[in-house]
Amino acid sequence: MLSENTVKEIGLIRSKYHDAQSSLLPALYVVQREHGWLSPEALKEVGEILNVPKAEVKGVSTFYAMFRHKPIGRHLIQLCTNVACMIMGSENLLNILKDRYGLEPNGTTVDGRFSLVVMECIGACGTAPAMLVDTDFHDNLTEKRITEILESYK
Amino acid sequence: MITVTINRKKINLEKPVTILKAARMAGIEIPTLCNHEMLEPFGGCRLCLVEIEKMPRLQTSCTQYVTDGMVVWTETEKVVEARKAMLEFLLINHALDCPYCDKAGECDLQDVTAKYGPATGRFAEGKRRHPESFDDPIIVRNMERCISCTRCVRMCSKVQGAYAISMVNRSSKTFVEPFSGGRYDCEYCGNCLTVCPVGAIMSRMHRHTYRPWQIEKEADTVCSFCGVGCSMVLQVRGNSIVRAVPRETGGSNKGLLCNRGRFGYDYVVSSGRLDSPMIKRDGKFRRASWSEAFTYIAGRLKKIKEDSGGNSIAGIVSGRCTNEDGYVFQKFMRAVLGSNNIDSVASFGYAQAQRFFEGIFGQGVTANSMRGIPNSDGVFVVGGDPTAVNPVLGLQIRAAAGKGVPVTAVGYMPGLKIFAANRPMPKPFTETALLSAMVTELRNIKGISGKGLFDKLIKDIPPVSLGEAEEVCGVPSKDIRSAVDALSRMTNPSIVIGMDIIRRTEGQANLLLLAALVSLLNSRIYLLSELPNEQGLTDMGCLPDMLPGGRHLTVESFRRRYEEFFGVDIPSSPGMGIMEMIEAAHDKKIKALYVMGEDLVYSMPDSAYVKAALSKLDFLVMHDIFMTETAGLADVVIPSLSWSEKEGSYTNLERRMQIVRKAVEGKGMEEWRAVSEISRLLGFNMDYKSSGDVIAEIAKVSPLHKDITYEDMTGECMWPYKGEPLRHGISLEDIEMPDKGSLLKRPEKDRIYIGVDKPLFHFETLSRNSEALSSIAPEPYMNVGKALAGRLFLAEGDSANVSTAAGSLKLSVRVDPDIPDNSVMVPDNFGDKGVYAIMQWKVNSALKAPVTDAEGVTIKKMKHAAEEVAV
Ligand code: SF4
Ligand code: SF4
Ligand code: SF4
Ligand code: FES
Ligand code: FES
Repeated sequence: MLSENTVKEIGLIRSKYHDAQSSLLPALYVVQREHGWLSPEALKEVGEILNVPKAEVKGVSTFYAMFRHKPIGRHLIQLCTNVACMIMGSENLLNILKDRYGLEPNGTTVDGRFSLVVMECIGACGTAPAMLVDTDFHDNLTEKRITEILESYK
Repeated sequence: MITVTINRKKINLEKPVTILKAARMAGIEIPTLCNHEMLEPFGGCRLCLVEIEKMPRLQTSCTQYVTDGMVVWTETEKVVEARKAMLEFLLINHALDCPYCDKAGECDLQDVTAKYGPATGRFAEGKRRHPESFDDPIIVRNMERCISCTRCVRMCSKVQGAYAISMVNRSSKTFVEPFSGGRYDCEYCGNCLTVCPVGAIMSRMHRHTYRPWQIEKEADTVCSFCGVGCSMVLQVRGNSIVRAVPRETGGSNKGLLCNRGRFGYDYVVSSGRLDSPMIKRDGKFRRASWSEAFTYIAGRLKKIKEDSGGNSIAGIVSGRCTNEDGYVFQKFMRAVLGSNNIDSVASFGYAQAQRFFEGIFGQGVTANSMRGIPNSDGVFVVGGDPTAVNPVLGLQIRAAAGKGVPVTAVGYMPGLKIFAANRPMPKPFTETALLSAMVTELRNIKGISGKGLFDKLIKDIPPVSLGEAEEVCGVPSKDIRSAVDALSRMTNPSIVIGMDIIRRTEGQANLLLLAALVSLLNSRIYLLSELPNEQGLTDMGCLPDMLPGGRHLTVESFRRRYEEFFGVDIPSSPGMGIMEMIEAAHDKKIKALYVMGEDLVYSMPDSAYVKAALSKLDFLVMHDIFMTETAGLADVVIPSLSWSEKEGSYTNLERRMQIVRKAVEGKGMEEWRAVSEISRLLGFNMDYKSSGDVIAEIAKVSPLHKDITYEDMTGECMWPYKGEPLRHGISLEDIEMPDKGSLLKRPEKDRIYIGVDKPLFHFETLSRNSEALSSIAPEPYMNVGKALAGRLFLAEGDSANVSTAAGSLKLSVRVDPDIPDNSVMVPDNFGDKGVYAIMQWKVNSALKAPVTDAEGVTIKKMKHAAEEVAV
């Protein structure tokens, strides 16, 4: 079930667009922000609120990589493994995540605390290696720094 | 004038079309995969690439329009190379399991690959795996074969309007899926199957039973699951129907079908089919030979006629009977048995509505082509959901909405929910108030000349204000006003009328109000018809007061014509209608009833009453394909042929006459043939060798069907044929002016009303014999609104008891927020678990039609079995 606030916010988004289809992406963002992912029930509900057929909602949401269709941990780590970050040791960081948290790319820790996705270049090559945790940006990562940073996310 | 040259051929065109179309018009084939005649151009597969002089790159001919002077080449080396490359890409992930795939032989991909494709691909990576999905009872989905042409998705959303499937994921991971990812839970029209170019989505009903080239016979026929009469082809192998597909051109459906037409045919091979005449003696049926049965029937009818007169015999025809059956039967009743007591289920509203409108506007006023609906400038729908009763007609309304034509849908119509601009939702059975206010308003806006007879009548309709209507029907004045405003701006709207609005206590007032709307708005009328040949039976004189061709029996000159032709006198006064017959049976006023194919017990309200009436008869003859509840009460049962086992003709709700053709052999007998055998035994010679002989006689005697032949029935055989319709003046004598009180009748406070639900997936009680349709919709149910469900603590899936004075039913609950409050809808397709089992017998005496409104019910939630154990 979507919260009352989310429903309200979707209504507001809808009012800003000429047709329902256009308001779909921003509405899905709002839902994902609340739930962390887009469950079938949530897709259905968004469809009902916007009067967009639910199959169409699913088609759109699965097209875009930024929408998640499986539950994820409380915090999402997006670690870059593209060239610059790779040269600067991102592979080692991956190993650390695996050893310390049992975290593999596209996986979630057993306690549901972290999920991990590997990224292609997040635009921080000059200060590589870099990652995003939820919406926070962290660069110049080292073995020590990454552990410290992650420990601040409960 | 545009001139374009394709492969050196000059083509002159009036208006610009796509290169693909121009080429096809000139007989030049260009391969396509994503393009389909029934869909808008898409330009996705790039197989239709062509070379256009003065254009640097190859263009997709399905999207590129011609311009004057354009020079196009469709098979240059460059084009052929490009097509080959496109195919190489398409085949990267294609399963290439043709030897095992049901589509092989009619697969577009196979055909184009054979012509253009590379024999081997260069991609060494493994193919995408995607296990075949058998989650759905009807459609099997094999996404390893899907080429992402989106034809199915475009069909489902843009044409069918069901929006049930979509392309999910991206790039090479793209495939098609219904929302659930498993079961489709859609409208099951199967129109997506028609357009899929490959074997990615297919019907489970014929899986691995044949190859396209093994089809031995194709019967070009029409569907018999409703009054639209979609043209279809039945494909046959070894005397069994392997598949039903729409005919691509012609007919009213233009390549579309609904779930019933496409998948419902399997009832034909249901194990319950009757295969021999049966005679009941000492309460027990035993098999009899045809001649034994006919002799027995003739003997009993003869005796009854001698003892009690022809008037004590009555006959009823099912809407599934052909024109030929109907014609011969009414002749038999009138000329052989001397009785005008003949009627059909068309008199559950359809015939009355038509008669009413024809009385005012002239014969043929309801004969309008369905294709006109999207071309009108407004659609007004009342009395039933067209997308469920006449699904393919419903698609025309959706198409209209898609073109921006405003649709007003009055009452519960789930299938038009997202298509109707206006959806006034009156309280149960209060449409009369709403219609009165609309007529009052429109009368003021439009003004009426007051000259014509009917104008005078419109003037006399008691005025009902928006406020008064709102108070009764609960539709806010401003909503009625906006519906009226929308209507008043229209110049050629379509009014679509379902039978539910006629089967009312106020049925006649409703007809008058609708006629007033038609007149004020200058609109076309479409009557929804639940059965395939209601119109035909009406035209064939299967009515107590009408002779074939819509000629009144009481007009002496008309009657004489038939008497001379038949060589005997016909009783000159009208007989009993279907409702009167049942009452007369109850009162023992008729002795014998001859029923052709109608399960009366469950097709009209009050099963117990109807059953009791039929049990009082001295003699009941029944033709049917199954041992129905009604057949079980008969003295003699004659096995019928299903529509796919006989020849004849149907007349659809547009009054289009179409041929029904035999696809497979059956074990029963055509009704006309059986009846003529019995006639002969009764000393009246009927010498028809084939249905063609019957239509030849109809063409001779019925002025409306003058000179008609099967050759005329090409799919476009429309009213008034070559015949002479009656253009008689207005007959308004019978029209009673309703008083204001009856226009403003309110629902009783706190009463819960029961209404008849017409589900998309079923047809009469017959469709329960179709495994396919039963697998889609296996269970009877009651549909209640959200508020009522809340008050009664009912949730989806609960089981509850719904009861009236006539009985009670235990049903599972469905909650639909759109059902008007204080009403419950129960379908009529589930026999003793259907709505008629608990509805009380009520007749509208003016219309002689059943009344299905005003029935109060109580609903009680049942405890779950598990809870009961726990208690
Ligand atoms: S069967 Fe009809 S409703 Fe169902 S997915 Fe196919 S086109 Fe859509
Ligand atoms: S299932 Fe068939 S029609 Fe639909 S996208 Fe795939 S290939 Fe095209
Ligand atoms: S719309 Fe009517 S005639 Fe057409 S396929 Fe469906 S049931 Fe048959
Ligand atoms: S490569 Fe990692 S941020 Fe650019
Ligand atoms: S048919 Fe033209 S692009 Fe597919």
